Amino acid sequence: MNKARRNIWHSVAAHGILLTYTLLALFPVFVILINSFKTRKAIFRHPLQLPGPDTFSTIGYDTVLKQGDFIQYFENSLIVTVVSLFFVLLFGAMAAFALAEYRFKGNTLLGLFLALGIMIPIRIGTVAILKMMVASGLVNTLTALILVYTAQGLPLAVFILTEFMKQVSEDLKNAGRIDGLSEYAIFFRLVLPLVRPAMATVAVFNMIPIWNDLWFPLILAPSEATKTLTLGSQVFIGQFVTNWNAVLAALSMAIIPVLVLYVIFSRQLIRGITSGAVK
Amino acid sequence: MSALKLEKVCKSFGSVKVLHDIDLTVEDGEFVVFVGPSGCGKSTLLRVIAGLEDASSGSVEIAGRDVTTTPPSKRGIAMVFQSYALYPHLTVQGNMELGLKQARMPKSEIAQRVAEASRMLSLDDYLDRRPAELSGGQRQRVAIGRAITREPELFLFDEPLSNLDAALRMNTRIEIANLHRTIDSAMVYVTHDQIEAMTLADRIVVLRDGRVEQIGSPMDIYNDPDNQFVASFIGSPAMNFVKAAAYGFDKGAVLGIRPEYLTVVDSGRLSGVVTHIERLGAETNLLVDLDTDDTITLRLFGQYSFDVGQKVGVDFDDAKALFFGKDGQRIR
Amino acid sequence: MQNAERKPRFKWHILVFLAPAVLVYTAIMIIPIFDTLRMSFFADVDNNQVFVGWQNFKMLFGDERWADHFWNALKNNSWFFMIHMLVQNPVGIMLAAILSSPKLRFAAAYRTVVIVPAILSFVIVGFAWKLILSPLWGIAPWLLDSVGLKSLFAPWLGKEEYALTTLSLISVWQFIGIPMLLIYAALLSIPEEVLEAGECDGLTGFSAFWKIKLPLILPSIGIISILTFVGNFNAFDLIYAAQGALAGPNYSTDILGTFMYRTFFGNQLQLGDVNMGATIASAMFGIILVGVCLYLFAIQRRLRRYQF
Repeated sequence: MNKARRNIWHSVAAHGILLTYTLLALFPVFVILINSFKTRKAIFRHPLQLPGPDTFSTIGYDTVLKQGDFIQYFENSLIVTVVSLFFVLLFGAMAAFALAEYRFKGNTLLGLFLALGIMIPIRIGTVAILKMMVASGLVNTLTALILVYTAQGLPLAVFILTEFMKQVSEDLKNAGRIDGLSEYAIFFRLVLPLVRPAMATVAVFNMIPIWNDLWFPLILAPSEATKTLTLGSQVFIGQFVTNWNAVLAALSMAIIPVLVLYVIFSRQLIRGITSGAVK
Repeated sequence: MSALKLEKVCKSFGSVKVLHDIDLTVEDGEFVVFVGPSGCGKSTLLRVIAGLEDASSGSVEIAGRDVTTTPPSKRGIAMVFQSYALYPHLTVQGNMELGLKQARMPKSEIAQRVAEASRMLSLDDYLDRRPAELSGGQRQRVAIGRAITREPELFLFDEPLSNLDAALRMNTRIEIANLHRTIDSAMVYVTHDQIEAMTLADRIVVLRDGRVEQIGSPMDIYNDPDNQFVASFIGSPAMNFVKAAAYGFDKGAVLGIRPEYLTVVDSGRLSGVVTHIERLGAETNLLVDLDTDDTITLRLFGQYSFDVGQKVGVDFDDAKALFFGKDGQRIR
Repeated sequence: MQNAERKPRFKWHILVFLAPAVLVYTAIMIIPIFDTLRMSFFADVDNNQVFVGWQNFKMLFGDERWADHFWNALKNNSWFFMIHMLVQNPVGIMLAAILSSPKLRFAAAYRTVVIVPAILSFVIVGFAWKLILSPLWGIAPWLLDSVGLKSLFAPWLGKEEYALTTLSLISVWQFIGIPMLLIYAALLSIPEEVLEAGECDGLTGFSAFWKIKLPLILPSIGIISILTFVGNFNAFDLIYAAQGALAGPNYSTDILGTFMYRTFFGNQLQLGDVNMGATIASAMFGIILVGVCLYLFAIQRRLRRYQF
């Protein structure tokens, strides 16, 4: 039947377009990764070949590990990201619970106030944030970054979590109250476990921009001891522009942890985006 | 010329066969209802007729034209969906016009058809509203209106009343019956509700597991079921089935008798204990545990006083009893 | 809470739940933003902050030392945004439409791959493309050669006339997965029966997309557009990573973010100026606010969300 034939043609065309796009999306990552394991000569002669026995070399990685303190950068990024996420989730969930659960004067207004930050980027306030961090002696500390990222993540976290908290059954909370649970116990023991999927979504949404941010590390914590992986690789590559092995190795070292995280969290991330959590 | 003719229609999803050799003819102006338990394939059959699913084999003919491979819009059908399926971004008028515009019909003709349908369904006041601003019943009327404007050879209804509440359901049922009297097109209607089937249909098609169990007028189906499944599916409370031999009948394995044909007597062929009474006002239903271990339901018209635990005698007119073989087929 | 008779106990727990988020958010985000706006009305005179009214803004918009750079950055930023709207949205919608076609195999795999670029940092993306497009390395010329288009190659990032467009396209490449998935989700949420009703009305394939699906995903496109707008007008990282703070060649890739950074911190040619930095930030704030308000009050009202 002609319908069937048309369908085959359609699906061939669909896969053709999607595959082309897949290649386009992965190509740069692929090129960087394979060339980071090659000799300088091979990088230039055969940029698209996989590293072979003659062309394999880890000289780039040797340079990177000798010259830059990438372990330290990685640790800094990890601390900043994890601690910021913790506070975003904890404070965000608490505020969202209060907004969703209790009627009090100014509830709506407070919700709007917190939602402002979804649209207005925190970078606008950079000049004053730096002034404040200088005044409080927090410049070049990870604390400064954690504070900024916590503030940055809260608006969306509160917004998304409020929606989810409203769906938690009223009866369940009242049953808890009748059983003598305090409001805190209701929040931590009844509500939080139920909104775990939403918390995971919020975490993944926040994780990527925090990990990848260049602006605030550059401005608030550029010292060697507090550099994040993103800033560290940016500075390193800037210094070693002409050493291709080192540049490619540094890029790969910045890519790999993110790819690993993505492999772990991709399902969560995609579900978060497609569930309409950010409408 | 018949409005719809199905010949040996089969449909499989992968290795699962959901329709088996369906043969059916619907005459012009006839109202045919597909009824059956959920999963019996009635909706799939409707979708095959509409062209939303292709038949795996067999042929579909609408108004004398073979449409087995024709796209839905060219089949001369119109369909009313369970969830109404109105275009949420279009007004009531836009919803009714879209299919006609798509067919490049002249504007004056479109306007005339929409006006006609809108008058018929009293939608004139709502033409500029969007679906979200309408109540459930109004949405259903728009969905029907959208079907009417297409002036199809064949109307298809997919459980159109199941999203409405009980009161509205009866009104809309009457509206659909009136509509059928007015425009006199052939209609195929899918439902799992036997009241809709009995009240609307000229002919009922009872389906089970992708097979036609029986086709006939509502009263044929009720009075003269071909097998035990049809007998039990149609009628509420359901027909009583007891072992024929236990009551001295040597015809068939199972005896079936409708609850309303049973009567309470002082001493009858059957006797038992009342275990439950349902008083509905116009009728009284009794559940009786017979001495022979069968449980039967009696439907008595009017109001009676019985007590749970009371011993009663039960009897029936042999002419009303139906007999079924071990395989469930009717023995006449 | 004045009505103490009716509510004898003050509900401390509400305060406890709200306080951390409100405090951190207010102290680190809201106050600095307003402080920045305030600072844009001051200037440094002999190490003292002096109120100067609108003078900074007059300088930024009119004084030759600032105005050229500002209007250049604003123009570039607008172009940056235009490319996103013209390429990211149509291509994203197209890919989403293909991806949402029923019974498509490997849809999950495609979905996973399309956002890989979006999870990489601007630094990685910027440098990776810089290397790939570099005439020294020759991957781009080699690829073009393989399809017989070698003559088209130019060191795009090094040419004033191409650099900004190239960077915009790199940014589109990086983020297209997000709008695509949002539209994909919107497409999937259209009930099957509505599309089938369309099929009965003769709307299939392209006309079904044009007349039913597209109107129903317009609200999602609106949201994507405003998110892109906000993101683009405070962008910085990609340009900084690929072209440095001077946003070369010859400021041709300078956008408001890099301009503000340079002004605030200074560079080889000039000293940092806190107040002018704040002024540029305020201008960005104004632009974003106008965009967001326009969206909220003019666009979003018309793009109604439909109940199904």
